[in-house]
Formats: sequence, structure tokens, C-alpha cells
Amino acid sequence: MSKSPRKVVIVPCSGIGKSYGTVSRVAAYQVTEEDRPDQTQLIPLALLVMGDEESRKIVAESQAITIDGCKLACARKMVQQSGGQIAREFAVLEVFRRYRDFKPQGITELNEGGEKLADALAKEVDVVVDELSASKEGDSHA
Amino acid sequence: MFPFLETKVDKFTFRVDTTCFYNSEGVWVRVEGNRARLGLSDFLQLRSGDIAFVEVKPEGSLLAFDEAFSTIETIKVDIDLSSPVTGKVVFVNPALENAPEVINQDPFGEGWLCEVELKDWGTDQSRLLDATAYFEMIKREAEDEVKKI
Repeated sequence: MSKSPRKVVIVPCSGIGKSYGTVSRVAAYQVTEEDRPDQTQLIPLALLVMGDEESRKIVAESQAITIDGCKLACARKMVQQSGGQIAREFAVLEVFRRYRDFKPQGITELNEGGEKLADALAKEVDVVVDELSASKEGDSHA
Repeated sequence: MFPFLETKVDKFTFRVDTTCFYNSEGVWVRVEGNRARLGLSDFLQLRSGDIAFVEVKPEGSLLAFDEAFSTIETIKVDIDLSSPVTGKVVFVNPALENAPEVINQDPFGEGWLCEVELKDWGTDQSRLLDATAYFEMIKREAEDEVKKI
């Protein structure tokens, strides 16, 4: 019986009331639900904070990509506390610095700039997911 | 390391460098000879949020007192900063281009904005707040904001 390959875990910021937190979550949904649903799994930060055993186990056994909305970096810290291995960490501010025209505004609903920034961020995450998936595939064939 | 006045309001600690003068916006001036460095106070950077971009008038630009000389774009706001001095920009902090976050990390040190050749420091100084006056002002503002929450 072949073991199904473990998915790349995506853990976004759970910040409420901040545009950058919303950008991180919109990007995470795009990656996990539209762009790379077969290769990724979204783990809500709140479950890690609550100590949800199943989520912590998944994180501990997977490669994780964290997306943080601010410098508190809660997603990165919680993945580390859960024993997870962070393959790549993204900070929305850093991504915004690369896409200055996409200034995010809005909280429950992002403005056009925020949507474009989330899309740009999701595409950067997609690239990392592909790299990780390719390297896992290589490992399994070795 | 410069001497600081420090206060904690709610969960935030604000520091005011006692070697500087300040305009009411929170732009500091530290004078050495006929030159001065300008930058953002700790209070202003904390209140504005993480800085994404910063632009400063280029070297050679003439600054008038109270005239916009720099723009910062943070995760919360875009702010035009007014010059607390009259003079000529002789040096812009090169670190800002690739790492504007240095303003948040070290507002009174590595996060300085530009160096200015002063034209009339005596007059400018008389229109600025010293560290103690600025410290009292921000303490009041911070406490007022906390009361609104």
C-alpha cells in the first residue's frame, strides 16, 4: 500500500481588524482552495493556539509555510512551538514592499489593491509549494 | 547610546532622546556644529506602524521650516513629515532604501532620515520643543488615546 504524500501546511495570520492579516488569510485560501488544493492543507492558527492535538501533529510532521500579517509573527511562533518545520515564512509587509502599487485597505473586505496583493502573495507561496512538492517527490524516488 | 526619558502608557513604552529637539509632529533634530540629523521620534514610529516605504528629499534640496521634506508609508497611514529646520539636505540615510524598517527598529539611531546643513538654527530652535516639553506632550496624547479605548 502506498503512503499518500503529506501535504505542505499553510498557516496564515489570524489577526482580526487589520488589512495585512486579511491579506494573509485571503492568500492562504487562494493557495489551499484554488491554486494548489492537492498539495496543501490550511491549518488555522487558532487551532494551534488552542493546542488542538490533531493540528499540532499535522504541523509537527509536515513542511510548513507561514504567512504573518505583522511583526509579532504569531504564525511562525506557533508553528515553531508546535514542533513544526518552517520551510518558508512570508511577511505581508515584505511582499507589499515588492508590490508598492497594491496598497491594501479594508478589513472584512479588501480593496482592489489588497486583493491584488493577496494574489501576488499567493503566487509566491505557490512557487514555494511547487518547490517543496518537487523535492518531496525526488526524495520518494530516491 | 543616548540618554532617554521614558514612559509606559498601556502596553507601549515611549522613549524620548534628550539630546534632540522636536517639532509637534514628532520629527527630531540632533545638532552637531552647523549640521543636524533629522528623524522620527519613537512615539511617531510606534503610532504610525511598520514602515513600508520612506522617501526623503534628495541631497542638495533646500528645506524651509515646516515644509514637507519626507513621506513615510506605513501599514496604517501615509504621512508627510514637516521639516523642523531650514537648510540644505547634504546626506540621505542610504539604509532607508532597502531597509526602511530600521526606522522602527532604531528611530533615534540607525533610522535617521537625513543630514541637513543648517541655515538659521537659532530661529528654528526657538520654534521647537525641547525633550522635556515633547515628552510631556506625547505622554498626554498617549494617555488621552488610552482613555478613548
